[in-house]
Amino acid sequence: MIIDAHVYLGQSLFGYRQDAETLLRRMDQHGIDRAFLCPVKPIGYDLAASNTAVAAAVREHPDRFLGLARVDPWLGEAALAELRRAVETLGLRGLMLHPWEEVIAVNSPLVDPLVAYAAEHALPVLVAGGHPRVSHASQIGDLAGRFPQATMIVTHAAQLNISGRALFDSTLLFTGHGNLLLETSGVYRQDFLMSMVNRIGAHRLVFGSGSPLYDQSFELARARNLPLTSEQMALIMGGSLAQRVSGL
Amino acid sequence: MQIFDAHTHVDESESLGWFDPPEKIIGLMDEAGIAQAVIMGYHDCPGAPVDAIAYVAAAVERYPDRLVALARLNPRFGATAEDLLVEAITRYGMKGLKLHPVSCGMHPANPMTVRLIRRAAQFGAPTLFHCGDEDYTLPFEIAGAAEACPEASIILGHMGGYYHVDDAIAVARRYSNIYLETSAMPYPERIKEAVEAIGAERVLFGSDGPGCNPWLELQKVRQAGLTVEQETLVCGENLRQLLAAVRHTGEAANDH
Repeated sequence: MIIDAHVYLGQSLFGYRQDAETLLRRMDQHGIDRAFLCPVKPIGYDLAASNTAVAAAVREHPDRFLGLARVDPWLGEAALAELRRAVETLGLRGLMLHPWEEVIAVNSPLVDPLVAYAAEHALPVLVAGGHPRVSHASQIGDLAGRFPQATMIVTHAAQLNISGRALFDSTLLFTGHGNLLLETSGVYRQDFLMSMVNRIGAHRLVFGSGSPLYDQSFELARARNLPLTSEQMALIMGGSLAQRVSGL
Repeated sequence: MQIFDAHTHVDESESLGWFDPPEKIIGLMDEAGIAQAVIMGYHDCPGAPVDAIAYVAAAVERYPDRLVALARLNPRFGATAEDLLVEAITRYGMKGLKLHPVSCGMHPANPMTVRLIRRAAQFGAPTLFHCGDEDYTLPFEIAGAAEACPEASIILGHMGGYYHVDDAIAVARRYSNIYLETSAMPYPERIKEAVEAIGAERVLFGSDGPGCNPWLELQKVRQAGLTVEQETLVCGENLRQLLAAVRHTGEAANDH
């Protein structure tokens, strides 16, 4: 079974868009069985509306989609209330933090109650990683250290840096925090991914595409191109997530 | 189609943890069906922990039909860097200059950088810049070098990285001496966009191998939806023509 840990649904304020039918067509074309849906920040900035739309897509295709809830930590108690609604009323199954698009440092105290709620309910937290000033690997490390019981999926291995200057911090992050899973989209250097397989184990790497911002077909090729055993590949393609996330 | 990779590395770096002797890139080129590659080191000379110029030159000597080299230099060293460049081109047959403004700590349009680029251009030799998302590597910063050296061919390695591809295409539209090189930039469709914006003649396939897998990087170009003619140019013909113009002897060697 192939699970894409990181796709977006909806029309984003930031220009990108993907509807459920387009996504399903792409998944079918690439042999992807299931996907974690991340709500976009919509035109109008209403993340609650995006959570509702993601929940509707999950209800329509429960065998293909698993939905994450997205909230704006700047809203304080209202953010926690929306997370509760998204999980307890809408049935979403994890928390998505996008520090870049929400313009907040991932280790801000405002984020803590949200991650605490996720940890308490055994929900995975997907963090858009590697963005300068808000989700640098060292900042994610600060958060991960305060919530060692929370399973976090860190996109782009927290290193959106094509010069390789972020590889050292990324290595420190994942070797230092066993509660983190490394998501593969856009990651610089295949030999870095292999070094991480050797350091932390294939069971802590997960395939994600970041579609439609990143090309789902090419990102799948990126993960599949790694010289792994079939057991290791099965973990990265979905086994790792199935071990950590209940109901998969 | 004889595929020519514009950007690969041969070096051994303890500080970066990258140990890439020439056999590694040759093996990956064979797997990917790549005929030739441009190699360069991971450190800037002078001041590299090993003599990267000699290391790269030895690799070319071992695989003369497969590898050609760029001299990776630090413009901060002024005349010393220029002398190394001249030696690299005239004695070792190297094909141009590689500049990594982050590891050098030098702005692309710093007069010392410009002087080195001009020196390379006197041999008809191009300059490949690391061009990503950090200060000193941004397309509009490198545009300053392209403007100051209209006689030099300037290659934007990684064509702007993750977040500056729009800027890379914009400066390539503005300056006809700028080429865009595809390595590690993660979006296949943006290669097609670049070809449509500036023409296939100024887009070069590069892999940044062996760290980035050359087969995967080639797959990205093949997925971009280019015509056969465009792909032939991008994957080798453009680079072949560019490097054929490099002169390894003559007046330029003595012209300070």
